Amino acid sequence: MTALFDKYAPLQARIDMMMKIGSDALGVKFDDIISATRGRIGNREILLAGTNNYLGLTFDEDCRAAAKKAIDDHGTGTTGSRVANGTYSEHTDLEEALADHFGMPSCIVFTTGYQTNLAAISGLAGDKDVIFMDADAHACIIDGSRLTNASTIRFRHNNPEDLDKRLRRQGEIEGGNALVVIEGMYSMFGDIAPVDEFVDVTHRHGGYLFIDEAHSYGTFGPTGCGIAEEQGVLDKVDFISGTFSKSLASVGGFCASKHPEFEITRKVMRPYMFTASATPSNISAARVAVEKIKSGGHLRDNLKARAQQLHAGLSALDFDLCAEPSPVIAARRPNEGVAAMEWNWLMENGVYVNLAVPPGTPQSSSLLRISLSAAHTEQDVQTIIDTFAKMKASQGEIMSGMMSKLQAAE
Amino acid sequence: MSAPTDSDIYDKICELLKPYNPKNLPIERSSGIMSDLEVDSVAVFDLIMELEDHYDISIPMEMVSDIKTVGELVNAVKGLTAE
Ligand SMILES: Cc1ncc(COP(=O)(O)O)c(C=O)c1O
Repeated sequence: MTALFDKYAPLQARIDMMMKIGSDALGVKFDDIISATRGRIGNREILLAGTNNYLGLTFDEDCRAAAKKAIDDHGTGTTGSRVANGTYSEHTDLEEALADHFGMPSCIVFTTGYQTNLAAISGLAGDKDVIFMDADAHACIIDGSRLTNASTIRFRHNNPEDLDKRLRRQGEIEGGNALVVIEGMYSMFGDIAPVDEFVDVTHRHGGYLFIDEAHSYGTFGPTGCGIAEEQGVLDKVDFISGTFSKSLASVGGFCASKHPEFEITRKVMRPYMFTASATPSNISAARVAVEKIKSGGHLRDNLKARAQQLHAGLSALDFDLCAEPSPVIAARRPNEGVAAMEWNWLMENGVYVNLAVPPGTPQSSSLLRISLSAAHTEQDVQTIIDTFAKMKASQGEIMSGMMSKLQAAE
Repeated sequence: MSAPTDSDIYDKICELLKPYNPKNLPIERSSGIMSDLEVDSVAVFDLIMELEDHYDISIPMEMVSDIKTVGELVNAVKGLTAE
C-alpha cells in the first residue's frame, strides 16, 4: 500500500536537502514590503532584485490612487466571471486602451497571465490545428496546449530555421492551421527572440504567430509594446499576450490580436468563462500603468542603463551570464547545492534574487537570477555587484559552511 | 531509405540517452525514462527533438506523455518510421 503523498518522497528529499543548508528559496516570507526595491525580514532590510517589478510601478502614486478610487467606486471584488456577472466599465476601458496601444482591433483581459495563455491557446487551437512551441516555453504555454486536442510540436529555442524545418516536415495541415507560440524576452535567461525572423517563417508556411510578451511588454520598444515593436514587426504579429504582474505592477493578463474575429473566443475559452474576473482595483492600477508605459521612455532608459551596469559588473567578476544585457540577468552556477548555498548567503547579506533550478530552467541549469527595475538606482546596482564580489571572495567559507551544515544534519 | 529495425532504434536511443544519464544507470527496454533513468521532463523533450531530426519524423508532445519506458519509445519511433 502506498499513501497518497508517497509519490512526493523524492521531491521532499530535495527540499530537505535545501533546508539543511539554509531556508526554502521558494517559500520566502517577507515581514514587510517597503517599496518597489526594498523589503524587510525581521530587522533586516532586503534589496529586492528578483521581483519582475521592471518599471517599479507598484508604489506609483497614480497607480495607487486609481486602485483606491476603483474600490470606493465599484467595490472590492467582482464575485464572478464576466459571463455570469457582467463586464465592469474598468474591464472595457483597459481592453480598449491596450488594443489602442498595440494598434489592434481586439484585446481581451484575463484574471492572471497564466490563465491568459491557458485560455488563448486553448481557444485558438482546435482538434485539427498544430501548435509549434519554442522549447523553452513557459509552463502556462505548455499547459495551454494540454487543454487542446491539437497536436503539439516543440522546436529548438530561438531558432527560426529549426521551426522552418519542423513546419516543412509537418507539411500540409489538413483542415487546420499552424499556431506558432514564442515569447519576447525569456524569463529565465533574459534572452530575446528574433521575432522578425519568426514572423517570416511562420507566415511563409501560412501559420499564425502568437507571442507572449509577459516580460517584454513595458520594457522594450519605443512605446513599450515589447520585442515585436522593438524589431519593427508589431503589425505583422497575429496575437500578443502579456501579464499585469510584471511591468504593469498589478495582477491579471491580456491577449490582443490583429484579427477582429478573436472576439468570438470569449464564448469558448474556459479559463475566461469559468473563473472570476479581475477586481476593479487590479484593472484600474493596470490601466494607469499602460499610460505610464506609453510615456515611459525614461523608465526604459534607466532600466537599460542598470542592465548594462550590472552585466558589466558581473562579467568583470567572471560570472558566467546566460545572455546579453537585459532586464533579466542570470548567472549560471555549477550545481543546485552551490546555487542554493549562495542564494542563502545573498539573503543573509541583504540581497534577494531568484534561485532557479531544474526542471524550471533551460538546459538543466542552476541559476542565480536577477530581475532589474527602473526603480533601482545606480547605487542599488553597485550594491548588488559588491555583494556578488564579496560572495565570490567568500566561496571557501560558504562551501565549508555548506559541508558542516550537511554533516551536522546527518 | 528503408525503415530502421527495432534494434537500430533501440541502439540509437541508448546512444542519445548517454548525455542524460551521467550516473550510467543500466538502460533496459523496461527502464522508465523519467522514473528509472532520472531524466527530467525538459531533457526528455530535448531527446525527442534529437530523435525527430535523426529519423525525420514528428513525435508530438501528446504522444510523448503516454511514453514511460525505453521500449515504448522504441515502439513509437518504429511506428512513425514505418509509415
Ligand atoms: C513567460 C510568462 N508568461 C506568463 C506568465 C504568467 O503570468 P502571471 O504571473 O500573471 O500569471 C509568466 C510569469 O510568471 C511568464 O514568465
